[in-house]
Amino acid sequence: MGDAWVIAAADRLLAYESDGLTAYRRTPRAVVLPKNTDEVSRVMGILSQEGVTVVPRGAGTGLSGGALADGDAVVVGTARMTDMLKLDPENRLARVQPGMINANLTAVAEPYGLYYAPDPSSQSACTLGGNVAENSGGPHCLKYGVTSRYVTGLTVVTYGGSIVELGGFGREPGGYDLLGVFVGSEGCFGIATEIEVRLLPRPEGVSTLLAIFDRLSDAGSAVTEIMAEGLLPAALEIIDGATIRAVEASVFAAGYPTDAEAALVVEFDGIEAGLAADVERAVIQCREAGAREVRTAASAEERLALWRGRKKAFGAMGQIGNDLMVQDGTVPRSKLTEVLRRIGEIGARHELLIANVFHAGDGNLHPNILFDRSDAEDLSRVELASTEIMAVCVEAGGTITGEHGVGVDKRRYMSLVHSPDDLDAMRRIKAVFDPLGRMNPGKVLPDPPAVAGAAS
Amino acid sequence: MNPLAGLLSGRLSEAQVVDGLEAERWAVCGRVPQAVVFPESEAQVAEIFSVSSEEGWSCVPGGRGSWLNGGQPPRGVDVVVSAERMNNVTAYEPADLFIEAQAGADLEAMERRTSECRQWLALDPPGGERGTLGAMLAVGTAGPLQAGFGSPRDQVLGATLVTGDGRVLGLGGRVVKNVAGFDLLKLITGSWGTLGMITSVTMRLHPVAAMDRSLLFKSDDVASGVALACRLAQTPLQLAAVELLVPGDGESGASAGASSPLVAVRILESVDAADEAERVVSERAGMPPFQRLDEEKSAAIFANVRAMEDGAELVLRLSLLPSRLPELVEMTSRLSGLHDPRAGWGMRLAAHAYTGVLRVMIAGMDRSDEWVDRAASVLVDLRRSLEAEGGSLVVSQGPPELVGAVGAWGESGSSALFSAGIQAALDPASILAPGRLAQ
Repeated sequence: MGDAWVIAAADRLLAYESDGLTAYRRTPRAVVLPKNTDEVSRVMGILSQEGVTVVPRGAGTGLSGGALADGDAVVVGTARMTDMLKLDPENRLARVQPGMINANLTAVAEPYGLYYAPDPSSQSACTLGGNVAENSGGPHCLKYGVTSRYVTGLTVVTYGGSIVELGGFGREPGGYDLLGVFVGSEGCFGIATEIEVRLLPRPEGVSTLLAIFDRLSDAGSAVTEIMAEGLLPAALEIIDGATIRAVEASVFAAGYPTDAEAALVVEFDGIEAGLAADVERAVIQCREAGAREVRTAASAEERLALWRGRKKAFGAMGQIGNDLMVQDGTVPRSKLTEVLRRIGEIGARHELLIANVFHAGDGNLHPNILFDRSDAEDLSRVELASTEIMAVCVEAGGTITGEHGVGVDKRRYMSLVHSPDDLDAMRRIKAVFDPLGRMNPGKVLPDPPAVAGAAS
Repeated sequence: MNPLAGLLSGRLSEAQVVDGLEAERWAVCGRVPQAVVFPESEAQVAEIFSVSSEEGWSCVPGGRGSWLNGGQPPRGVDVVVSAERMNNVTAYEPADLFIEAQAGADLEAMERRTSECRQWLALDPPGGERGTLGAMLAVGTAGPLQAGFGSPRDQVLGATLVTGDGRVLGLGGRVVKNVAGFDLLKLITGSWGTLGMITSVTMRLHPVAAMDRSLLFKSDDVASGVALACRLAQTPLQLAAVELLVPGDGESGASAGASSPLVAVRILESVDAADEAERVVSERAGMPPFQRLDEEKSAAIFANVRAMEDGAELVLRLSLLPSRLPELVEMTSRLSGLHDPRAGWGMRLAAHAYTGVLRVMIAGMDRSDEWVDRAASVLVDLRRSLEAEGGSLVVSQGPPELVGAVGAWGESGSSALFSAGIQAALDPASILAPGRLAQ
């Protein structure tokens, strides 16, 4: 590998001690930065011979501690694997290395009128390899679906260093959908070293509106009504009053009224000729649900302005709290209002400020719990509130994580949504890809229950 | 009743087991099972699997039996387990755009329920609407609408699976975004009953578009038809489907709409957008469509495409990258000697221009030993050519002796490494349609 691409000095390892979820911090034993499939295979061969555990890592923007590596583990990072391997505009396909940044793929495809649809909020920093590991979503997956719909082929390297091809566009030979189960496996099955994805033609037109509400529940009703109208917006996003005030107090101020309790962003895309009618129907639904103001964008600049508050919401949270714990539960859309009310109650009961900014169209909530890390009592209340929020989501027919993944953070909550048999089946499938259990251990699955009689 | 059927009816009830003559229509790739069982709950499915494990019987899960002749013939066929009596719609929330039903519910029943709320299941797999939800997921194939909406794997939200060792797994859920754990739903989609019996399914629904419009373009010959289809797949629009349809030599053409090659474009949009899409498509085609079909007529032409496999004795799925569709279609000339020009309608083609998948349907074959040998060598050669170019050839239905000789699936490459392990993880005693998916 050469000395330059193996990091072992304590000061340089600091950069790898956490991912986007900074509540968890560990220092890995070393970091290796290979540049292609062959090098990954050779590195994995050596590490597996030595019995060293491996943690794959992209840009480290994950929000569930999935890239956390303890002192025994070596991080295999994809930071140098940023090449576009093949762009095939005719077949609307791209083959890339896993370290390529999500937004860069769209930038490269743009001249051909194409783009890559999944757009997680961190798209200017996160890597496609990380997106594959997490099966990432984003605001536009209401209409377009999540990462797994766009990944058509993978080259993966197993813990033992074997190179395996999964899927591939243009062939459908039968057999289990190993590609499908690898996407979202959070680095527990192997490392994706080449990724083939489908690109979409850029929609001809985009139209955006912003509706301001005095009550959060009214914004929730507007979402339900827009969907009931048979409209399928490209995005339906809500930010609540606490978040609006945080944004407006920050450098990202977007001109949202600070006495409002919700702002709803609705975006349509597709054939230009059909957009005006869709927007008009959505405006009517917003007004009927009680919107006090509806703004529409006439230009690309105005459109960006309407989005600004939503896009910068996370960045602005620093205005209202020192530390932030973001939850990621998903609920059926019709339960949004009820679940938001209960989240509000949970916050009040634990005396915590919870600011909501979320993908309303697909029921994916992002309650941000604000707290102070230096206050131990705060921490335990955050823990309690998080648990209760996840339980409420599951009770409403939803799940504990919609797009951030389980990582280390939510593995102890997996039994809220999965039976012991479900978890055991997942454990067995992991063992097929990683029989020795040394790929990203301690992630996703809770520790197996102790076998009766085996305890000493 | 034979002893096997007798034992099963003792565990369940006599009314839930048939054998003998009644079992004949449930033959799997030509092999009549000793018993057909109709469980009514997950617990009963688990009970059947448990008895079968003890007795060493092979079980083939099914729905109404439409797909029993598909895929690789399993090594053993003792019991067919049908989901036919588990057919209730268990949850439908229009506001949440999902429907949950037991696996034996048919697609027509879904359609009836959801159309009241102007919603639909945006899938058109071959085989028509009588097929069951469970079978659609187990088989995993998609029709022309795959271009606009994806295949079953992209639209399934959740399922219940009874594994070979009798565990009841709840996979996925009711929401589109769900990353809580490994995505085992993907594994059971297209698993052909080899990992367990699917007993309930939750699917994503779509709102019905204000306008369903199909544009039909006629071509003088197949080559210009395929060129046109490829051109139309290159517009910047998100069309719901672009399909090349070539009727058989012996067809009057009534079913497919014409006797010469057709390119059918389906547009599902608002009214204004549909008009604009029609303008763009016609411009790209360099001609107006010879027919424009709206609403029911548009749906009907694509219902015909779904029914194109009806009556076929051999069905193949060939694929290459979409840009190579002209070559792929050209290669079907190698198959032209397989049907008897005096019998049946000959060879039909249906190509999805967006995905590069070509379905070939052949009727009218003599099926002699000599024919089987000849057909096998043609298919093996063709598969070899396609695999060398990164494509594939699947025999989705055919005479069992031919499928046995050629193999249904073809080369699965280095990933075969994991397949045996996956099956062993969920069906450790290997009682579920053994050999159906693997070679």
